[in-house]
Amino acid sequence: MPMASREELLADTFLQLADTLIEDFDVIELLTMLSGRCVELLEASATGILLADVHRTLHVVAASSEEANLLELFQIQNEEGPCLDAFRTGKPVVHGDLGAQSPWPRFGRQAMAAGLPSVHAFPLRVRDTVLGTLNLFMAQAGPLIEADVAVAQALTHAATIALLQERATTDANRLTAQLQGALNSRVTIEQAKGALAERANIGMDEAFRRLRAYARDRNAKLTDVAEAIAGRTLAAAEMDILIAPDSYVRFDHG
Amino acid sequence: MPTAYDRWLRIVTALGAREGPEPTPAGMCSAASDLLAAGGVGLLVMAEGVPGAGFASNRLAEALEDLQFTLGIGPRVDAHARGIPIIESDLAAIPECWVGFGGAAVEAGVGSVFSFPLRLGAARVGALTVYQLGSGPLRGEVYADALVWADVITRALLAGQVGLPAGSLAVGLADEGSFDPRVHQASGMVSAQLEVSVGEALTRLRARAFADGIPLTAVAGEVVVRRLRFDHR
Repeated sequence: MPMASREELLADTFLQLADTLIEDFDVIELLTMLSGRCVELLEASATGILLADVHRTLHVVAASSEEANLLELFQIQNEEGPCLDAFRTGKPVVHGDLGAQSPWPRFGRQAMAAGLPSVHAFPLRVRDTVLGTLNLFMAQAGPLIEADVAVAQALTHAATIALLQERATTDANRLTAQLQGALNSRVTIEQAKGALAERANIGMDEAFRRLRAYARDRNAKLTDVAEAIAGRTLAAAEMDILIAPDSYVRFDHG
Repeated sequence: MPTAYDRWLRIVTALGAREGPEPTPAGMCSAASDLLAAGGVGLLVMAEGVPGAGFASNRLAEALEDLQFTLGIGPRVDAHARGIPIIESDLAAIPECWVGFGGAAVEAGVGSVFSFPLRLGAARVGALTVYQLGSGPLRGEVYADALVWADVITRALLAGQVGLPAGSLAVGLADEGSFDPRVHQASGMVSAQLEVSVGEALTRLRARAFADGIPLTAVAGEVVVRRLRFDHR
C-alpha cells in the first residue's frame, strides 16, 4: 500500500473519530489514538495529552510513549513548561528552539537532554474553561508552520469533543465526575501495564501496545481489559496470549 | 486556589488531629461529615466483591446505608459498580430514582446525595456517600474536599487490610498527594510478583518507603527499572 498523504491521514483520523463517537467508546483509547496521529501528522517525536482534575492539577491521560509520559510528568512536578503556560493562559504556546533561549530553565534542560528542542502546547478549551492541554515535542529545532498549527488545533478540538461527549449536562459536579472517571481509568491502565510488563518481562511501552492490540482484536474497551488484568480476573489462557502473543500468531497460521 | 497537595495535607492533618494516627472507619466517617458540613456520611466497605461492613456518622446516614444494603440499589451501589461519582442534587424532583430509596431519603429529610467510589484504579474498596439536607450541587470547594476524603479513606482502608506499622499511615498519606504513573506501574508489577491485589501491592510499596525513609515515588521508580523486587528472587 502506498504511504498515505497527510490529507488522507487527516481525513482518516476524523472518520475514525466520528465512528468512535457514536458508540460507547473508551476515552483513553481515543485520546491515545489522537496522540499517535499527532506524531504521524506533525512529525512530532512525542506527544502527550494532559487533563486537569477538580483541584486544577494536571495529569497525563495519554502519551505517545513512556518517554513522553515522563517529560509531561516533569513539567507537572516542576510546575513549569509549555503545557502549564497553555493551561494557565488558555492560549497556544509555540516554542521553536529551547537551545537558543528557554523561558523554562529546568524543563528546557530536560527537553534538550532528551533531544527535543522544539516544544508546543495547545489548550483543550470549552468556552472559558481549560480542561487540559495537548503537547508536541519535536526533534528538529524550528518554528511550527501555520499549516501544522492548524492541524494541531483541529486535533485538540477533536480531543475536547471526545472528553465532552458524555457531558449532556450543565451540572458542574457531573462534568467533574466524568473527568475524574477518565483519570481513574488511566490509573487502572498503568496498573495493568505494570502487571503485564512483569509477567511477560517486557517494557511499559510494549505492555501498553499489547493491551491496546488485544482490546482492539476483541472489540473490548481498553479500560475493561486493563481492569480485568489489574484486578486479576482475566482468564489464565487469555493472559497467556498477552504474555506471548507471537507464539499464538504462529500457531494460528499452522 | 489551593493545590491538590495543600488540600490533601489539610485533610490528612485534620483527620490525624481528630482521630489519631490510626483512624477507624467510623471515625473517618464522622470526621468527613463534620468537616464537609454534611447532613451525614456513610461508608460502604466491600469484602471479596460483596458489600461487607457499613459505617455511618449519624442515625440518618446509618438508616440510608442500611436501606441500600437491603434493597441492593442506591447511589453507593452505583458509585462502586460504575467507578465514578454518582450525584443526585435534587432528590425531591425525582423521588422515584432508585425505587424505594429516593422516596425514603426525601422522607428522612435528605435533599441531595453524592456518592464517591473508593478506588485506586482496579483496587475498588467501597463507596463514601455524602447526604445533604438541602438540594443543589456541592460548591466547588466542598466537592473537591469530598473527592480528597474519598481518596484518603481509600488509602487508609487499603492500609488497614495489610496492617501497616503505627504512624506510617499519616506519613504515607501525606506523601501521596501527587500522581506518578510509576507508582501505579510498580503496584501492577508487585501485584504480579507476589500474586496479591494491586491495592495490597501499593500498601507494600508504601510500607517499604516508610521503612527505608525514602519517598514512595523513589521506591516505585526502582521497581519499574527492575532494580528492586518484592518476591526476593
